[in-house]
Amino acid sequence: MRRLALLLLALIALPGSLQAQVRSVEVRTLRPFGYFVGDLVRVQVDIMVDDGFTVQAASLPQPGPITYWLDLRDIAVEETAEDDARRIRLHLTYQSFYAALDARTLEIPGFALTVASDRKDGVTSAKAQVPAWSINVSPLREIQPPPREDPTEYMRPDGRTAPLEVAPSLRWAGVFAGLALLALAVLARDRAWGPFGRRRGRAFAGVQRNLRTLVRRPDHEAAYREALIALHRGLDETDGRRVLADDLPAFLDRHPAYRQQESGLARFFTASRLAFFGGETSAARSQWSLGDAEAIAKELAAAERMAGG
Amino acid sequence: MNTIRHGDAMLTDWRDTAARFQREVGKAVVGQERAVRLVTIAIFSRGHVLLEGDVGVGKTTLLRAVARALGGAYERVEGTVDMMPSDLIYHTYLADDGRPRVEPGPVLRKAEDLSVFFFNEINRARPQVHALLLRLMAERSLTAFNREYRFPDLQVFADRNRVEREETFELPAAARDRFLMEIGMEAPRDAQARRDLVFDPRFHDTDALVSGLKPGIIDHAAVSGIANAIQHSIKASPEIEAYVVALWEALVRPAEAGIRLPGIDMAALIKGGASPRGLAFLVRAARVRAWLEGREFLVPEDIRDVFPEVMAHRVFLEPVYEMRRETIVPGLIRAVFETVPAP
Repeated sequence: MRRLALLLLALIALPGSLQAQVRSVEVRTLRPFGYFVGDLVRVQVDIMVDDGFTVQAASLPQPGPITYWLDLRDIAVEETAEDDARRIRLHLTYQSFYAALDARTLEIPGFALTVASDRKDGVTSAKAQVPAWSINVSPLREIQPPPREDPTEYMRPDGRTAPLEVAPSLRWAGVFAGLALLALAVLARDRAWGPFGRRRGRAFAGVQRNLRTLVRRPDHEAAYREALIALHRGLDETDGRRVLADDLPAFLDRHPAYRQQESGLARFFTASRLAFFGGETSAARSQWSLGDAEAIAKELAAAERMAGG
Repeated sequence: MNTIRHGDAMLTDWRDTAARFQREVGKAVVGQERAVRLVTIAIFSRGHVLLEGDVGVGKTTLLRAVARALGGAYERVEGTVDMMPSDLIYHTYLADDGRPRVEPGPVLRKAEDLSVFFFNEINRARPQVHALLLRLMAERSLTAFNREYRFPDLQVFADRNRVEREETFELPAAARDRFLMEIGMEAPRDAQARRDLVFDPRFHDTDALVSGLKPGIIDHAAVSGIANAIQHSIKASPEIEAYVVALWEALVRPAEAGIRLPGIDMAALIKGGASPRGLAFLVRAARVRAWLEGREFLVPEDIRDVFPEVMAHRVFLEPVYEMRRETIVPGLIRAVFETVPAP
């Protein structure tokens, strides 16, 4: 890259003892001219110091507005060791907001930097003065253009861009929406939701739904009996026949998927017997509550899904 | 409260007695646990029993064993074509002095003490004899010698085989309806029981086998009372009542209950039967089963367990289907239980 080096070597007159500590300050810019409003101005400052000196971060210029037309956007510091010296390299990025009406030279102000060396016998610090330098700024457009009838003609025409092709996106959106609906349908079928509520082979899903509403009913005794009947109907539907308490082992032989729930089902049948035929619904409820009924309906529905695929 | 507890204790004791009775009869009749159990239920329901089955499966042995373990007097007659009702009631003969004599026949001989009347090959007897039996079973009384005889503890056991049809008389519907149960007996399926029956000499001599049983395990005179106590102590909930009525409805009108059997016009299957008496018998027997199971209330299983034996012979099919009743009726009963919800 062609680099125009602007060498502004400035050795500032410092007291003799410090003179040797900051050996040189060098400002390098890309070009000193051809800047427009809003352009970024990148500068590299190399400061050679004696070995052992480092830049003090607090003395670095802070990013932010510097003058009314100039901002410092960014600053980065890089330090490297060289023979018996040390190179401190600053990368500065300015932005110019000067809306020039003619080509003119503007000065970017310099700044001072503190370098310090932390030795056994104390801290030695020194100042490195970065000098100001100039850039040439120019107007963006003609200052006095020839008169036009239509003021809009002063404006540049809109840039012509190809309209976005939305058809493929719409197509993909359609495809994925379809897939999502399909997945929803599969899920609904698996869980026996909505229109699949009466699905064959998902008897316990219906029972579970039924029980969920029964649990909220205020009349607990009647709800309990209805819950027992719902479970009975679920078992009946699963088996395709009426399942009585004594049929439980045979039922589990025919439907081994529910073997895990054997003890729960046995307790359900005992409670049901007591409630319906022993005439002791409250005793049955204390042995096996509506919550137990809901729990087993949930387990049975899960086992049914596992078994039914 | 004391009396109730006392009654409960009595029922518990009797339950043990019933179990002992079943065990004792089971010693003589192997592999027929269900038949023995059903006969026990019949005894405690105070019902008469008709045993049905092939020749030589142990019908007679079962009944003799039951009669021995039950105690009380027992009489036995063999049904024949030429048997007339008077042969059961009167015994006519010429005495030593050459004069004709008329004495009480087999039914009257033991009179009030008669507990088991055992009618072998009942289908060989004529309808006249069946008619007499009808009264004996229904009313437990007879009129003879210008007086009425009562048999308070009488239980009629009858058997018939299914092999021959010649020279036999089908029992009239009314007589069949009087039997609490018709128990079908088959040779045992269990391999060990079969081996024993064939090779163990103990089973070859029926007389010795039956006389080896402990007699009179059940006090036959007390059965009536205990049967009543059972019927009063076993509760039937409104649900079970509804269930039994629904079963009845489905059995009589299977088409309306949504029952379908392959190859059968369900609307034209049932001609009649399943009388209220039959249903009452059903509940009686089911209560006894609940008691044997140690429960204080009826459950659908009790009904289902005794249903085929109590109800099957009370269902009358249209003539088209009557010849196939042995396959149709069990199928119908199974379908009824698979259809009617409980509770």
